[in-house]
Amino acid sequence: MARTHVRSSLKGDGMRRTPGFWLSVTWLVTICAASWLLPIFLPHDPYLPVADPLLSGRHFPPLGTDALGRDFLSRILYGSRMTLSAAVLSASITIISGIALGLIASTTSNWVDRVILGFVNAALAIPGLLFALLLTAGLGPGFRTIILAIGFGLIPGYTRLARSVFLQIRQAEYITAARSIGMRPMRIAISHILPNAIRGVASFSALHFSWAIMGITTLTFLGLSGDPSIPELGALLNSGRQHLQIAPHLAIIPGLLISLTILAIYRLSEELD
Amino acid sequence: MVSLPYRSRTRILTQLLQRLGLGFLTAFAALTLTFFILRLIGTDPVDSLLAQGLTSAEQAESVRQELGLDQPLLTQYVEYLSGLLRGDFGISLYTQRPVLQTILEQFRWTVELALTGLVIGILSGLAMGVTAAWWENRFIGSFAATLASLLTALPVAFTGILALWFTRDLGISGSKIVMPASVLGLSISGAIARLVYSNLLESLHGPYILAAQARGIQRSFRLLWHALRPILPALVSLIALEAAFLFAGTVVTETVFSRPGLGRLMVRAILDGDYQITQGLVALAALFYTASHIIADWLALMFDPRLRETA
Repeated sequence: MARTHVRSSLKGDGMRRTPGFWLSVTWLVTICAASWLLPIFLPHDPYLPVADPLLSGRHFPPLGTDALGRDFLSRILYGSRMTLSAAVLSASITIISGIALGLIASTTSNWVDRVILGFVNAALAIPGLLFALLLTAGLGPGFRTIILAIGFGLIPGYTRLARSVFLQIRQAEYITAARSIGMRPMRIAISHILPNAIRGVASFSALHFSWAIMGITTLTFLGLSGDPSIPELGALLNSGRQHLQIAPHLAIIPGLLISLTILAIYRLSEELD
Repeated sequence: MVSLPYRSRTRILTQLLQRLGLGFLTAFAALTLTFFILRLIGTDPVDSLLAQGLTSAEQAESVRQELGLDQPLLTQYVEYLSGLLRGDFGISLYTQRPVLQTILEQFRWTVELALTGLVIGILSGLAMGVTAAWWENRFIGSFAATLASLLTALPVAFTGILALWFTRDLGISGSKIVMPASVLGLSISGAIARLVYSNLLESLHGPYILAAQARGIQRSFRLLWHALRPILPALVSLIALEAAFLFAGTVVTETVFSRPGLGRLMVRAILDGDYQITQGLVALAALFYTASHIIADWLALMFDPRLRETA
């Protein structure tokens, strides 16, 4: 009974999807497919020079070469793949730990909740990027560091949101019913609260994923990935910056890819809400 | 309800004192977190000096002693805190100069950038939000609303580069204040505009707006005075939050436009592994963040009399 109700409400939402929603989905599918599949067919290695530096698309199709003579299309596609994978990893760290912490805080005893909330609030007193920069300072510059820094940096905010969703669900009558038949708190959390929280959590999970993209590209833009030869959208944006006069597309294209992806995910997160 | 001016004044005072205490507690927690993150998961600063060939193996031990790195962590922590209380932020490993002095030198540049950016951000955010609500069903209104949500999604790095690209032939220097501040301001204006827009739409349907309409008050005045006023507390607390984002924004903006400042200092300190500078900057940021929140709470109390009664 309850299940059919959920399904019909999902279907009802589907009817109301806007063109912006489908545009966003199309963009995300396109960029994922292009960055994961196309590099297999591309003839050029993104790390090796293949022609003269800074050639335009006319002389070296389709997008020309970068300042070191490497095929720019390859670098863009590998770069998107790198950014997206890194963001997926970061967001996984955030979402898994955030949900775990949120569940623990909302189901176990009062003082555990207070301790977790205390830590969360203290961490939130440091602005997000600063917290990530701080972790980067501790772990030393590097690509792995950036993934960890962004992933951990987003945990406090996520935990707070997840906790409030779980606390709201705990008010429901079926939770009281489950408790009254003697179910253990952890079992209630896993088999009742978690499945029902998915819809509530989905929207800000998407939002945190887009923040992960924003954070990762920002840190690599600042040169904190350590190795500038790694093709990654933020790093490409930074290296393209030096050639704005002759070859503006070297900076504009990575910038556009980052912005469009973030915009698309924003849109999705709004629709999921 | 009869208001009790004298009692409510003491209430405000206790409320502000509470916030002050809480603020110091969080700032202290942030400092502690920083200290232990850098010490526990970080590499030994003297090791990185050795790796970069800036000191020899014989000197390393004496450098450690000089910095107090040979002492137990808790002793170092207490020393660090008591130093902070005396206004002593330590000495940079790399430049051998006091951290406070290095920070103060760069302070002016960042404050100039951040304040100008904040003003531009608030003004353009208000303009976009009011436009979007005023001409809600017209092209210009939806244009402003779209622009606002676009601005929340664009990375500062990209808008900065776009600004540099558009103005490349005009001969405007990137290190001048106008362009970096506009880019920084636009990055926070999106969120402000969205808050103003959604709250304005809501408050425009309030009964007091209807009452104002019945009294024959002009639409523009209703919008700007009657509808905008209840938004102010929320706006002020958003701006306080944005002040924190602003710091993050200056890091990127200073890099894009090659401006000196605290953000560049931070990036360099991280790349060099210069802990003392990093710590000093985090301390400053935590203080700044706490202060901005306390000021925001106070302003919210000023703008919204209801908060005073319910406290």
